[in-house]
Amino acid sequence: MKKVYLIAGLTLLMAGCAGPNPYRAPVEDRGRISPPAPAPGTVVPAETAPGVRVTPLGQAPVIRAQRSEQDAPVPVQQPVQQSTRQARSPAVIALLETARKDSSNGDLRTAQNRLERALRIAPRDPEVYIQLADVQRRQGQFLQAEQVALKGVSVAAGQNNALRRLWQLVADIRQEAGNAAGAKDARQKAAAY
Amino acid sequence: MSATAYDYTDPMSKKRTPPAKGRKPRRPSSPSRLARLCRWLLKLGLLLSVIAVVGLIYLDAQIRSKFEGKRWAVPAKVYARPLELYPGQRLDMDELKQELKGLNYRFVRRAEQPGAVEWASSRARIYSRGFSFPDGAEPARNMLLAFSGNQLTDIRDAEGRSLPLVRLEPMLIGGIYPKSNEDRDLIRLEDAPPHLAQALVTVEDRAFYDHWGVSFKGIARAMWVNVRAGRFVQGGSTLTQQLIKNFYLTSDRTLSRKLLELPMAMLLELHYDKDEILEAYLNEVYLGQSGNRAIHGFGLASQYYFSRPLEELELHQVALLAGMVKGPSWYDPRRHPERALERRNLVLSMLHQQGEISQSEYDTARQRTLGVVKQRSLHKGAFPAYLDLVKRKLRDEYHEDDLSTEGLRVFTALDPLAQTRAEAALDTSIKALEQRYGARAKDLEASMVVTDPQTGEVLALIGGRATRYQGFNRALDALRPIGSLVKPAVYLAALEQGYTLTTPLEDEPLSVKLPDGSVWQPQNFDRRSHGVVPLHRSLALSYNQSTARLGMEVGLERVIDMLERLGAERELKAYPSLLLGAQALSPLELASMYQTIAANGFRMPLRVIRRVTDADGNELSRYPFSLKQQVQPEVVHLLQYALQEVAREGTARSVYRTLPSQLNVAGKTGTSNDQRDSWFAGFTGDRLAVVWLGRDDNGQLPFTGSGGALKVWTEFMRRDRPEPFIATRPAGIEYVWIDEATGLRSDERCQGSRQLPFITGTAPDEKVDCGLDNPVHRSLDWFRNWFN
Repeated sequence: MKKVYLIAGLTLLMAGCAGPNPYRAPVEDRGRISPPAPAPGTVVPAETAPGVRVTPLGQAPVIRAQRSEQDAPVPVQQPVQQSTRQARSPAVIALLETARKDSSNGDLRTAQNRLERALRIAPRDPEVYIQLADVQRRQGQFLQAEQVALKGVSVAAGQNNALRRLWQLVADIRQEAGNAAGAKDARQKAAAY
Repeated sequence: MSATAYDYTDPMSKKRTPPAKGRKPRRPSSPSRLARLCRWLLKLGLLLSVIAVVGLIYLDAQIRSKFEGKRWAVPAKVYARPLELYPGQRLDMDELKQELKGLNYRFVRRAEQPGAVEWASSRARIYSRGFSFPDGAEPARNMLLAFSGNQLTDIRDAEGRSLPLVRLEPMLIGGIYPKSNEDRDLIRLEDAPPHLAQALVTVEDRAFYDHWGVSFKGIARAMWVNVRAGRFVQGGSTLTQQLIKNFYLTSDRTLSRKLLELPMAMLLELHYDKDEILEAYLNEVYLGQSGNRAIHGFGLASQYYFSRPLEELELHQVALLAGMVKGPSWYDPRRHPERALERRNLVLSMLHQQGEISQSEYDTARQRTLGVVKQRSLHKGAFPAYLDLVKRKLRDEYHEDDLSTEGLRVFTALDPLAQTRAEAALDTSIKALEQRYGARAKDLEASMVVTDPQTGEVLALIGGRATRYQGFNRALDALRPIGSLVKPAVYLAALEQGYTLTTPLEDEPLSVKLPDGSVWQPQNFDRRSHGVVPLHRSLALSYNQSTARLGMEVGLERVIDMLERLGAERELKAYPSLLLGAQALSPLELASMYQTIAANGFRMPLRVIRRVTDADGNELSRYPFSLKQQVQPEVVHLLQYALQEVAREGTARSVYRTLPSQLNVAGKTGTSNDQRDSWFAGFTGDRLAVVWLGRDDNGQLPFTGSGGALKVWTEFMRRDRPEPFIATRPAGIEYVWIDEATGLRSDERCQGSRQLPFITGTAPDEKVDCGLDNPVHRSLDWFRNWFN
């Protein structure tokens, strides 16, 4: 993976130095001749999609489609396999902290409100899902709590620590809801991280 | 009212007694009859007095119950989402300016009071108003915001401390009015600006603080004035009497009403202190008319005439409103500005004479223009389609009466900035289409739904081209065949059954015999068949024949089940043509389905209302974030890949002419039979939008889904600058290099290979040999080998 990042970095660097069009996609043209640019507005027949490929770049996508009339197809990027964690903004930190306080004071509804605000600001931060699911668990809303934790799992790909905590939380919720088999299953998943 | 009728016949009957007594000397012969008459009259008098007392008690009870109970029918207020401000936020200064204008902030050189803002090239000082949210109060703050590019970088309070998160007050987007069409904004006396109470007392009732509800001095003075003028020019009513008149009595000028007014005014004064009466007066008084909406109370009048909360009014504005009480239509500052100005200045001079304001205050205020805003405020009534949806949701849970009278507060998810961008995108794109297609694009109608795929909130809604007019709400009520927008459900059902993205499909003609004897023979858009195509390509290029074959293999029931799991709620007809989108759905339903795809298989009910509270801020209902997994994230991941391919290489690839490549758009174009509906549904990281273009008469369009709806969608995303879509790879997914020609496992260095996701263990085992020493590749191999 490190190699890919290195390639990615260097490709970006080279793309950056490429001159007139800094956004030129770093594509490998494997020798096929591109079809002539069609007149503006004409529908490009699908078959002409040339076999142009992009190196999977991890999460450093500065590629842009050329602003030409031809729709140069840039294939789907491979999703990031490593952590997609972004720096947490002070706003989210503040909301998470106050929600934690509310929740330890037993004010679960206020905590829930704050966590929903946090969710709107940082919908891909697993920590928000962990806290929200926990608040719902404490309110006895086991079904919702489990679903929120599972949604957390789906945004936490690559973040092993968060995944372990989320699965552990799912295990606790299922245990409390009386689903022993499901809890065991979740605990096993937690142990894998 | 029957009791009150006795109330004034009583003194009159007493008046009749003296003449009866006067007859006494003339009829000395009948003392017993006289005595009987006297006794009878006495009894009658007593009876009438008792009735009068009962009447008074009854009146008193009436007065108290109304004054202490719910005094007014207060319409529910509907608010947009509050704009959250935090460092690192994607927000440029133009957007902030738009939001502040919507909130009627004043752009001034020095922001010294709430509702004002100082604007500089990369900074803004905002003096916010503060707002009492159901989940806590947001104080009024004097804060300095710094921007860099399209990002808010820093927020500091007046002492220079950095603030992590601030909420502006939410924009009021509408109300739900009672049948009487009375609208008001309740205020408390302590919220009234300085001088309002004095101005009112000075102009309407100088003895207000001294009298007991009725001012005989006032009546006498009024009579004197009227007699001198020879006509009715002045009424002697006190503020209390005026309040009684508006509050308890009908507006017809009858003697009975006039006579009731006096005792009632005195009773009111007996029970309540002057401030309570004045506060009620401030909220009751009629101050103007907006269409069929009657403007009551100074709170609403302040918004209506000046677009500001009452507490922000300045002296000259206060004087105008106080002066208008005498005749809101006669002194209407919009229709009769000279009259209004004269009246205002009269009020100012009276205040000055009374010593309420200084000479310099008087001089300054006199110089000011009326300062009345144009009739229509910027945002009220600007979101009819969204408000329509809000009302429908509310009516599911609340009585119409409660909605229009209880002063409920409804907090919605509407994002006025997203709504404006959606409207602008629609407008621009439709104009371009009309220019391009001329008469063939006439009478084009449109609708659009914008949501946040991460939270399921509906951010914007367009119900038709005339976005400011309430009418047929196409986003909710126009049911149109969804065309190829159905295909993701077909493919998802297949992927769930074990198909992979590389499963070869046959794009060949097919005939399906239907129960009624007819034969269904779907065609491709280009009227050609494309032979064997891998599954992902069939979806990306929206082939009909391969999709129909796939759907028949998977089974209609499974496809219908998938549509329902994704979010379709109406009954779906199990005809084979369903596989190609013969089923009609509304844009909102489609948004709900695509939402589930965007949210990795978790279905979230679309939310328009976040919370409803009563007038005091107590929560009545909340609509929390809730979700339910409907499809395994691994399976959805495969579909998300294919939907990105639609935008990269398929029918929607024109998006990247306009949008940056890293946005990773995922979506699907749709065109119904005979090109009557043009659809696009798609999402990025934090925006999902469904666009429909078509004609109300179901006429044919000169363009397809990608030629029409996609243009609107793209233009919206260009303006909105959303976050990129990043499909995180679930644990059960592996990426494998596949040779496109054969669908077999290949190598990253082989020509014609691409990397595709598979549910772990489902990728083909067989491998093609592409001859890795192909000279074409060497040039690249050296590049890679650098890093080995």
